[in-house]
Amino acid sequence: MIRWTKIKAIATFEFLAAVKRPGYLITTFGMPLFMAAYAGIVALPAYYAEKKDREPSRFGVVDQAGILRMTGESQPGTASVPEEVQRALEAAGQRAAIDRFMQSTITFRPFADEAAARAALAGREVKGYFVLPPDYLASGRIDVYEPDTVNVSMSDARGELGTLIRGQLLNGRVDGQTAARVLMPVQTTRAFAVTRAGAVKDGGKMATIVRLVVPIAFMVLFLMSILMTSGYLMQGTAIEKENKVVEVLLSSANPDEILAGKLIGLGGAGLMQIAVWFSIVLVGMVGIVPMLLTSRLDIPWAALGLALPLFMLAFLFFGSLMLGTGSLGSNMREAQQLAMIWSLTAALPLITMGLLIKEPHGMVARVLTFVPFTAGPLVMLRASLDPSSLAWWEVVGAIGALSASIWVALRMGARLFRIGLLSAGARPSLREVFRQARASP
Amino acid sequence: MTILAFEGLSKNYGANPALRDVSFDVPSGEIFGLLGPNGAGKSTLIRILMDIIRPDAGTVRVFGEPRRREHLDRLGYLPEERGLYTKQTVADVMTYFGSLKGLTRGEARRRALEWLDRVELANVAGWKINRLSKGMSQKVQIASVLLSDPELCVLDEPTTGLDPVNVRLVQDLLMERRKNGRTTILSTHQMNQVEALCDRVALINKGRLMVYGEVGEVRRRYSLPEVRVRARGAIPPLPLIAEAVHEGDSTWRLRLADGTPPSDLLAALVRAGAAVERFDPLLAPIEDIFLRVVREERA
Repeated sequence: MIRWTKIKAIATFEFLAAVKRPGYLITTFGMPLFMAAYAGIVALPAYYAEKKDREPSRFGVVDQAGILRMTGESQPGTASVPEEVQRALEAAGQRAAIDRFMQSTITFRPFADEAAARAALAGREVKGYFVLPPDYLASGRIDVYEPDTVNVSMSDARGELGTLIRGQLLNGRVDGQTAARVLMPVQTTRAFAVTRAGAVKDGGKMATIVRLVVPIAFMVLFLMSILMTSGYLMQGTAIEKENKVVEVLLSSANPDEILAGKLIGLGGAGLMQIAVWFSIVLVGMVGIVPMLLTSRLDIPWAALGLALPLFMLAFLFFGSLMLGTGSLGSNMREAQQLAMIWSLTAALPLITMGLLIKEPHGMVARVLTFVPFTAGPLVMLRASLDPSSLAWWEVVGAIGALSASIWVALRMGARLFRIGLLSAGARPSLREVFRQARASP
Repeated sequence: MTILAFEGLSKNYGANPALRDVSFDVPSGEIFGLLGPNGAGKSTLIRILMDIIRPDAGTVRVFGEPRRREHLDRLGYLPEERGLYTKQTVADVMTYFGSLKGLTRGEARRRALEWLDRVELANVAGWKINRLSKGMSQKVQIASVLLSDPELCVLDEPTTGLDPVNVRLVQDLLMERRKNGRTTILSTHQMNQVEALCDRVALINKGRLMVYGEVGEVRRRYSLPEVRVRARGAIPPLPLIAEAVHEGDSTWRLRLADGTPPSDLLAALVRAGAAVERFDPLLAPIEDIFLRVVREERA
């Protein structure tokens, strides 16, 4: 018989003991600061690279074919589309296409001959230059000259030169709309997703991201909490073994109660830590909320609704097994090695993610839905990707399988836990574990 | 009234027997000495009582009924292999142990502070355990067990490492428990404590119950028929005296002839004109009984 007063006493003590630890406080509140500092260090070079990209880049052009008709150096943002073409595009209501081209920072400087262009490149006045040979129209060949050092912006300039050439070739020959489509055949896209029932939903990039982010976030969060909290669980048990308070505990509460109390108390501490981190991330990302609301996304409500109960059930299941197995170790390292098998099992859906996303309602996914080790993440994944094809009885079945397994895991974990707690010194052999499991009350 | 009864307890660890058909009662309101050499089976017996391990055979009855887990709230236990959470404060750890015995956190806290005062450690309530000396830590552990006022309490070597002043403090606490009708099982190797405190003893050796009974009765049972007499002048030769040994300073140890009660010898000595100043029947010390039983078993 489980006595809740005992569980409450143990859970309260374990929770308070964990959250008062300096290590816990440093990790909880220091980790976001560390991550922010790390992100800052990583972002700094990217920021300067991006700033550098915004500075005008000058390239030379030697137009031996005579098709560019350049009279002087082009200005940033107007380099690739001749003024006449811009006017035609504007008249045809294609302002968006012009705006797209205006973002360019590349300018082209015409050179009368290649020698002058080469001298300019040698003197690093330009980042490179292009030679359009006299037979360009027939051959389509362009010679590219660049410095003998790494030059990553040359390919961008080549794209811009292509637009410049297209603009000149189209100038006066086609109407504005046609010119806009030739210059930019795919200006914007709209994506839709069709369900098995034939319903059309938003299939845009954001919707796809949300559908994938929910189960992935669930799995990552789940794995993180399993690994972090099991660390606390095993640390707590190791301390009890070390401090010799085990017999006092066992003379007041049975192993089931101790296990449940520890799971709730230390699990709560672990979850609170993750909640703090996610709160900090959410506060940091608060700007994304209006964007989600205005983009009329198809939010996977079913998955979000199932997330917390599934998380708690899966956590109790894995926590019991990890604590029971881990307590057999004679020290922290051994305990972690023993409990590793459950960490790997918990990571299984993440490892097979590719297959599961491809066939969220295939045979593998359906079978794994009822396997307690994978039920939680699988229901989340399927409910996020295509809730209409996830039958209610599958959800009920998964929760049922998980609940029944928790009972077994608690019983098994408690027995292992008792054996682990009472065995001092070396790790008990498998035979000894079986013998003691039979003998324990 | 019997508060605890072991009935036919047996326990084996693999091929090694730890307990063999052990049966005895512990009367209520006594201090009961549980004796035995190392590895005799005392810890196994206590662990079975506390429901930490299961016996292979036999039953445990407490408070007049078969032992259930609910009874554990009324039992206290200070194991031999013991410790405290070193990173927690004294008051927090004691409150936790109290709440594990069914007290509310508030009540457990109140009693913890009260008991710290009783064991003269009121000033350390807020200290981390790892700041305590060994003796302080020992007293905190004893107070942690006693704060729930258990009806039956098992203390395994409670005074090891304590100075004489604190040994006396702990002994006073145990005697106070007895005065209040509480039962204490004292497992110890300090035989002087057994003689000073215990009402009854059980001696276990190699898993078997070897000796059981009231301390005085056990000592008489294992004593030779001897008396120590202090008298002015010589001891007259009497047929009731089988052997007389002069120990010096007017003191003799007299061995009585078979079947002679000490009172008959005293009367005969007085009749014979001996100036008897002191007459003490000699009881075997518990330590001697312990050694004798263990050596006989080994032999």
